[in-house]
Amino acid sequence: MYNNRRNILTGLVWISPWIIGFMVFLCVPIGMSIYYSLTDYGLMDAPIFIGIDNYRELASDQLFVKSAFNTALFAAISVFMSLVVSLGLAILLEQHLKGASLVRSLIFIPTLVPVVANCIIWLWLLNPSAGVVAAIGSAIGSPSLNPLGDAQLAMPTLALISVWVVGSPLLVCTAALKDVPGTLYEAAAMDGMGPLRRCIHVTLPMITPALGFNAIMSIIWSIQVIAPPMIMTRGGPENSTLTFSMYIYKTAFEFGRMGYASALAWIQILITMLIAIGVLSLARRVIFYRGAN
Amino acid sequence: MVHSDHHPQNPLTRREASGVIARRAGGLFVASKTLIGGAALVGTGYWLANHTPRSRRDIPPGRTVIDYWEKWTGPEGVAIQLIVDQFNQSQERIWVRRTAVSEIDTKAMVAIGGGDPPDVCGVFSYNIPQYAQAGAVIPLSDFSHQNALYPRGLSTTQSMSPDHYAPAVAKLLSSHGKLIAGVSSIYSLALYYNKEMFRAAGLDPQSPPRTIEELDEYAERLTIKNQNGTIVQAGFLPNLPAWWPYSWPLLFGAKLYDPSTNAAGFDSDQTIRAYQWVRSCARRFGMSATSAFATANDRNYHSAQDPFISGKVAMIAQGPWLANFIGLYNPNLEYAAAPLPVAADLLDPQAPIGMLEADVLVIPRGCRNPQAAYEFIAFTQRQEVQEQLAREHTKSSPLAVCSPAFFAGHRNPYVQVHDAITRSTRVSVLPQTTVWKSYAHLTAGVFDSAWKGSDDVAATCKNVNVRVQAMMDRDSSLQMRRNRVQ
Amino acid sequence: MDPISVPKALRVGGITQWCLYVILILAAGFFAMPLVWMISIAAKPADQVMASNGLLPTFESPLWSPEYFKALAQQVSSNLDEVWNSPLADFPTYLRNTLIVAFLSVCGMTLSSAIVAYGFSRLEWKGRDTVFLLVLLTLMVPQAVVMMPQYMLFKSVGLIGTLIPLWLPSWFAGGFSIFLLRQFFLTLPRELDESARMDGCTQWGIFWRIILPLSKPALIVVVLMQSVTVWNDFLGPLLFLNKEEQYTLSLGLQMYQSQHGGTPWNLVMMASCLVVVPVLVLYLWTRRYFHGAEIGSGTKDG
Repeated sequence: MYNNRRNILTGLVWISPWIIGFMVFLCVPIGMSIYYSLTDYGLMDAPIFIGIDNYRELASDQLFVKSAFNTALFAAISVFMSLVVSLGLAILLEQHLKGASLVRSLIFIPTLVPVVANCIIWLWLLNPSAGVVAAIGSAIGSPSLNPLGDAQLAMPTLALISVWVVGSPLLVCTAALKDVPGTLYEAAAMDGMGPLRRCIHVTLPMITPALGFNAIMSIIWSIQVIAPPMIMTRGGPENSTLTFSMYIYKTAFEFGRMGYASALAWIQILITMLIAIGVLSLARRVIFYRGAN
Repeated sequence: MVHSDHHPQNPLTRREASGVIARRAGGLFVASKTLIGGAALVGTGYWLANHTPRSRRDIPPGRTVIDYWEKWTGPEGVAIQLIVDQFNQSQERIWVRRTAVSEIDTKAMVAIGGGDPPDVCGVFSYNIPQYAQAGAVIPLSDFSHQNALYPRGLSTTQSMSPDHYAPAVAKLLSSHGKLIAGVSSIYSLALYYNKEMFRAAGLDPQSPPRTIEELDEYAERLTIKNQNGTIVQAGFLPNLPAWWPYSWPLLFGAKLYDPSTNAAGFDSDQTIRAYQWVRSCARRFGMSATSAFATANDRNYHSAQDPFISGKVAMIAQGPWLANFIGLYNPNLEYAAAPLPVAADLLDPQAPIGMLEADVLVIPRGCRNPQAAYEFIAFTQRQEVQEQLAREHTKSSPLAVCSPAFFAGHRNPYVQVHDAITRSTRVSVLPQTTVWKSYAHLTAGVFDSAWKGSDDVAATCKNVNVRVQAMMDRDSSLQMRRNRVQ
Repeated sequence: MDPISVPKALRVGGITQWCLYVILILAAGFFAMPLVWMISIAAKPADQVMASNGLLPTFESPLWSPEYFKALAQQVSSNLDEVWNSPLADFPTYLRNTLIVAFLSVCGMTLSSAIVAYGFSRLEWKGRDTVFLLVLLTLMVPQAVVMMPQYMLFKSVGLIGTLIPLWLPSWFAGGFSIFLLRQFFLTLPRELDESARMDGCTQWGIFWRIILPLSKPALIVVVLMQSVTVWNDFLGPLLFLNKEEQYTLSLGLQMYQSQHGGTPWNLVMMASCLVVVPVLVLYLWTRRYFHGAEIGSGTKDG
């Protein structure tokens, strides 16, 4: 018993840096955030308690609905593309083709590039008067192609650009693919399965944990995305690229309403948690854990 | 090729020798890598420690350095920098360091809220109600002069007085009777028109339209479309540019805000008539044609392809700076300016109607050198400095007294039109309510929906009025709670 | 899947191989294209920034001649000089600030995460795995929720407008690094601990003298990931920094963009290249640890 308590104490001492950070930079802010969401808090004033008025205002805020819709659109396209492209590329790169490791690096490099540089490069590429997309556009006969200036196209464009940073999901898929025992493939081949059927019936089920991980991380990231719309389109045109996090930032620092912004942020946490729980419970039914019976 | 013979003098075999050399070379390689790495680290460390940011260099020692954030870049930035330089050279205690900042009212709010603000900040007049209410800036009336740099005519113990400015400007700079900010420049809107196009359409270039009805008539005659229905020359379109969607109700006599009752007047009959007129413009000239025209010119303002400067638009509501760009890109353009046309029953040539907006200078609370900041602002409010800045920015002077030499050789030959608006008895100022930004945003929505031909303009206006009034009421009740708490 | 031991039955046929190569090349092109354009624009003079000009800048000398390369080198160095000394943006200062923050942050994160990961892996104590789950859950907290209170927190101690809020939290370990290091520590044999203890080593001694030196690959991955995170951090500097002389590179990159159009794209791209290069170099240097080790999934390939 004494040993046990001593062990726990030692363990806690060793992880104390994290505990302190967790308390100061996470727990206290989360608590403060709950309190702020119940107040009216300008940047330059003291907070005034107003109860759940912020949440009531939320319910009728059209911009909130719009930003939620925008974020959902972004998430849907981005997560789907990320999963498909990362898996496809991972399988492709496992086929013993020459130059695979070079391509692997090329795919990973965009994740190292600062978000701002990323956005600037794509801003130029999509520039209606100077960029590559403009050149392609004039080649196919629509000279004033400006995806980022069009309210319908802007968000899908941003979501497609996010595919450029599939480096990390690719790593995870690759690791999972490497883990699939070769004997399974051989057995399947001997059963007469062609490459495509092997892929569907052997590869996919075996890597579902990795796919699940990628899916969750991707969903969480895309719900929080803020830098590309902020740098590239500033929420326009006509608020079609105003994502949820960006709306929160704008409310807090441009309109100066920290209280209302905190309420919005809490809704974001709730939605994230609900979706994560949903995906996890779906995953439990679909994911195949090797060795688990 | 290994020779295993031993040379008598050299006890090592060739292989052994090459092994030793390799090890020594390897060692040397590692040593040189470490040396280079170490040197790089030391060099970087030295550079890090001794690097001064560019904004800190070239400051004469012994001076109090104050930070001045201003929104202007380009030629307007150069103009204000001239004045900063003059101040820096005119005395030896203070050095003003100007930084060009984008989205300055947001950044200012964040900096003040974060406790790390600049000493002087150039924001907009519509920020003043909010800053005053929150106590985010130190009112200019709280300072008194303690040195020789005050505006002429004031004694050392007096503060700057609102009488120094034109009455409308003083209103913009004050809140609850206190002078909060200094002015850097003001502007109003006037009707700029192309005299050549007037002549071509058989209109008299000396008599521009003075009423809305005349404006409509002139616009009809000046608009030229081609066979496809595309607009080749626009007569007058309220959506060019669409930067002041709230300015139209004024021309019909509406009041957007009544400070005495804290009431928004957006659902008044005049406002509704104004936006119905906007809708009629769109209908008359074709909603899609006009929208296409506006979108095509969206990025061209103030450049060589500006719709007015390049002769695509006959009449446009713009500010005094337009003359500057005309001079730059199309000096041969024959143009003139007149007060904006108003509803027929409001016509009074002695008292033109217009809206005044201003760029202002404030001293954020919590800055490091408020007194030095005040001295700088006091310098900029001097008559000769204001007139210099106004001439450089191609705007009119905001002060109560204007020297006659100001107008001579001014880049805008029609600056008197703007000056008359500033001193008119019927000039309005931008509504001084803390919710102005949201209010303006909502008026843009009303303008857009009117342009797209919404059926019930009255309902839209009433809707907006309800929302704005709700915002204002909420804000004032929260403010009352705050005052009680404090 | 060792290439040598792939059974004949599993090898992919001729035409399919060709198709795969085509897709591979297309993929490589798609991912490389933006960077290629970035480098291309960075080497051009201001008036040749249009895409229709092609990838290479045109000078008076014919292509591929020695004069061409000389002109190219001159153009690149002139662009570099303009970026470094541009009146629009104080690049050297941004670099300095970013270096300071990166160095402090990486040191703090690596050290503290190693200590905490040790506590989660080499020590047995009740509740250990539950608390670790909590660590993982913190990865799911959206930044937006904590950004305002953190802002208020730092403001109340007067740290807004300094670089401190950018690196201080790293000294208290982060979930991702803890996860990586813990996975690695778990793969090290227990006998090391036991034999060290029998030799009279303290817990800290085991950590510092035995486990850490053996963990070089994992530590390098943590250094790389944290460097990249800090170097590219955008929201942190946006929130906590007010004055231009405090800006980091990712914020500073935006200063080249002009309000009124006429952004000097060649300078912007050159600045972006300069910002990307250090991280790229770091990545290429540590590549084998990264792709080989596959720390994240706990496999022992390498």
